[in-house]
Amino acid sequence: MFNRDTWLEIAHTVLSHSLRTALTGVSIALGVFILVVMQGLGFGLQNGVENQFADDAVNSIWVQAGRTQLAYKGNQANKQVKIRENDVEALFAEMDTVYAFSRRIRKWGVQMEHGDQVGSYAVRGVDPDHQMLENTKITHGRYISQRDVDEQTKVVVLGQTIIDEVYQGENPLGTHLTVGGVLFSVVGTFNDPASRWENKMAVVPYSTAKKLFRGGRDKVDQVILGTGDMKIEKTITLTDRLLGWMKERKSVHPEDARGVWMENNNEEYQKYQNIFLGIELFIWGIGLLTLLAGAVGVANILAIAVKERTKEIGVRKALGATSISIVGLVIQESLSLMLVSGCLGLVLGVGLLEVVSPYVDHEYFQNPQVDFRIALVALGILSVVGVLSGIGPAVRAVSIRPVEALRDE
Amino acid sequence: MIKLSSIEKSYKTGSQSLKVLKGLDCHIKKGEMVAIMGSSGSGKSTLLNILGLLDGYDSGEYLLAGESMMGLNERNAAKYRSRFLGFVFQSFNLVGFKTAMENVALPLYYQGVSRKERNKRALDYLKKVGLLDWAEHLPNQLSGGQKQRVAIARALVGKPKVILADEPTGALDSKTSYEVMGLLRELNNEGITMVVVTHEQDIAEMCDRIIKLHDGQIANV
Repeated sequence: MFNRDTWLEIAHTVLSHSLRTALTGVSIALGVFILVVMQGLGFGLQNGVENQFADDAVNSIWVQAGRTQLAYKGNQANKQVKIRENDVEALFAEMDTVYAFSRRIRKWGVQMEHGDQVGSYAVRGVDPDHQMLENTKITHGRYISQRDVDEQTKVVVLGQTIIDEVYQGENPLGTHLTVGGVLFSVVGTFNDPASRWENKMAVVPYSTAKKLFRGGRDKVDQVILGTGDMKIEKTITLTDRLLGWMKERKSVHPEDARGVWMENNNEEYQKYQNIFLGIELFIWGIGLLTLLAGAVGVANILAIAVKERTKEIGVRKALGATSISIVGLVIQESLSLMLVSGCLGLVLGVGLLEVVSPYVDHEYFQNPQVDFRIALVALGILSVVGVLSGIGPAVRAVSIRPVEALRDE
Repeated sequence: MIKLSSIEKSYKTGSQSLKVLKGLDCHIKKGEMVAIMGSSGSGKSTLLNILGLLDGYDSGEYLLAGESMMGLNERNAAKYRSRFLGFVFQSFNLVGFKTAMENVALPLYYQGVSRKERNKRALDYLKKVGLLDWAEHLPNQLSGGQKQRVAIARALVGKPKVILADEPTGALDSKTSYEVMGLLRELNNEGITMVVVTHEQDIAEMCDRIIKLHDGQIANV
């Protein structure tokens, strides 16, 4: 069935009805093109948002305090709530397991000097788990250790921006850096491509930062809790329970959304995952319906073509064509039209994404590309649709009684 | 060559059954040139359908070159058609987007003859009907008489035993009609059995014998 003659025959038929072929081809190519481009856009959006999450560990709960909105237990509204170190310890006691944790304090605009280079950056005091919780990628050396925190050592881990600006190509490892007038040893460097903020940070032990940059004040800016491999449902109930408990402890009204708040990254991530699932289904829905519209168009055009070719098919039968060869001819014609124009749409769509991709770099939209598997699935669907839309017209073609078709009475 | 005995055929239209052929007997000998005449509704086209193996029949017997054609399946019908029969139609029915040569070669395509051989044989037959110089022309570049000659070449290319011509001169002027009939007669003289369906008396009279159909039966042999 798939010999050279058959293909010549098909090429001949297809090419000698160029308008019909072009119309069918365009509708299919457009369908695939739209499917591919939409997939690409969907992926771009997904990549962008997932990159946002790559900034921090997904399995974490963030605890923060702010000003109250509601008066409660004799306290006026607008009172600044402060998380103390003993609150953190009590919080740990409230949890069954503490998988990982880090307290976090920050000081803006600290002057840093090395040689004759000076710059002003932020200092952040952390516990060792902060590396994992903030998804920090160490490029050289090491991160803050428990011993550093215990002994208030003056060690610093530098973000890439500081290295670029203050060290200007020199290897910072093992050198000394004056941070806010105090000499620190540089023990490590990191680069966090997902966050421009992080790279402008100098990370030091929590205890050292507290003593040197916060005047020993007992106020934790944020507490990050790791949830390990805990199930999402469990993390949600845990967050609710801890939040209630924390509000009670800090005398914050239970309805107050500002005094103490917790953000469960598990839940946020899950929400986005659900949104993406929705978007994905939506895109597939639209893409498939577009393809379907194209396929209906093809079936329609083939039906007209068969009608138009009634005589020709009658002649072919009279000249010795079997039903199978006629069905084969129509289906093969439909299938090859589908695949050729489908591939064209695919190439155009992928091409557009390839061309546009390098110019697109938005926080929430990155790397709009199409998975190779999706291209294959699209082609598979096209083939099935091609055969299906050929069957109707083909069966019609076969049911034509030759002599009736050939008489012109 | 063709032997029909008590052929019956009816068509179903909705709940009614219309009997078109009512026990038709007919014998066409090898090398004969026969005209079939009859008014419309007499069963001419049905008979031609059955003779051409394009439609089955309900009862009776049809022997083509001594073989029974009862209850043939599609594939075998197509096989017998391409082995024994050639068709010539009133409106020529050339495939519009194929050249004269490709049209003539089409039956050979369905017989699985290679492209080169097909075209060679097609050219031989175009030469036979005097149209070798027109081989690369499309049908709409040919006159009516030329188209019919291409169609005859196409009917001949499969080396049929019988040519079934359905109103072969119906769309031609009388001069061209006579030329075409002359060509058919010439081929008949070479031994091909010729069955010509026509409603023109003068054309019918150019054949050896006239079979008249009336109400699904042979009126006068």
